[in-house]
Amino acid sequence: MSSGHAAPGVERKLYFEDVTVGLVLETPGMTLTTAHVGMFSGLCDTRLADPLTVPELLPLCLSSGLGWRVPQPPLVVLAFMGFEWRFLRPARVGDTIRSVSKSLAKRLMKEGGVVIEERNILNQRDELVQGGKLTLLVARRPAP
Amino acid sequence: MYRSPGRTVTEADIVIFAGLSGDYNVLHTDAEFMKASIFGERIAHGLLGLSIQQGLLGRSEPRRADERLVGLKWKFRGPIRIGDTLHVEARIAAKHDGEKPESGLITMQRRVLNQHGEVVQEGETEHLVGRRPG
Repeated sequence: MSSGHAAPGVERKLYFEDVTVGLVLETPGMTLTTAHVGMFSGLCDTRLADPLTVPELLPLCLSSGLGWRVPQPPLVVLAFMGFEWRFLRPARVGDTIRSVSKSLAKRLMKEGGVVIEERNILNQRDELVQGGKLTLLVARRPAP
Repeated sequence: MYRSPGRTVTEADIVIFAGLSGDYNVLHTDAEFMKASIFGERIAHGLLGLSIQQGLLGRSEPRRADERLVGLKWKFRGPIRIGDTLHVEARIAAKHDGEKPESGLITMQRRVLNQHGEVVQEGETEHLVGRRPG
């Protein structure tokens, strides 16, 4: 394991106790390209009538990686338990999306803590492309 | 009911999905770390499983006119491991009029099962579908 000799700060993580309900986090943008669409369609076998249409699930998938690029350490997510999602506008190749998220609630459980996150994906015109609520199981801070 | 063909989830699928999505969580990328976890090995991203089932179902359903996915309620019930073979079972649970005269809404219930018959993911999807003209 590599974590034993990390410099202070390098391995910083956020635990359940560190989640601030109501704090809004915004990711950097990501321009959707034919490379994204081609790779996603090849991996998942999505058939598209129009090669410039972005598959509905792709912005959602990209938001999970964008979420690691906010100005705070990553949350120790043990499991993605479920979510509810609305697809409001189709995205097109050339659009630049970003994700804005906020913790709505947190609840302590036996094996960790449950965090409800609201997440909205916006385009370069600040239009809501898709969004919803995610239920995450987050690790509790280990005893010192 | 629709039953999709099977698909075996490989290590390559997980690596490609991590690269595409940018989600390099250790759950999916660090084999050594995961040996000590309750799973004992790397597991697939939940959203990779969701995306794979979408493609699988597309191979077994008829193409509907002007179909668009508009909503999703989804539960991740269990891990998807490297080497697991998934298939999807789906049925149309409801049909409604849409807000506009040219389309209606259908609700589908879907279950994603592995080779042991365990449900690893399940949920409901809502789709806009074009109405027959005239």
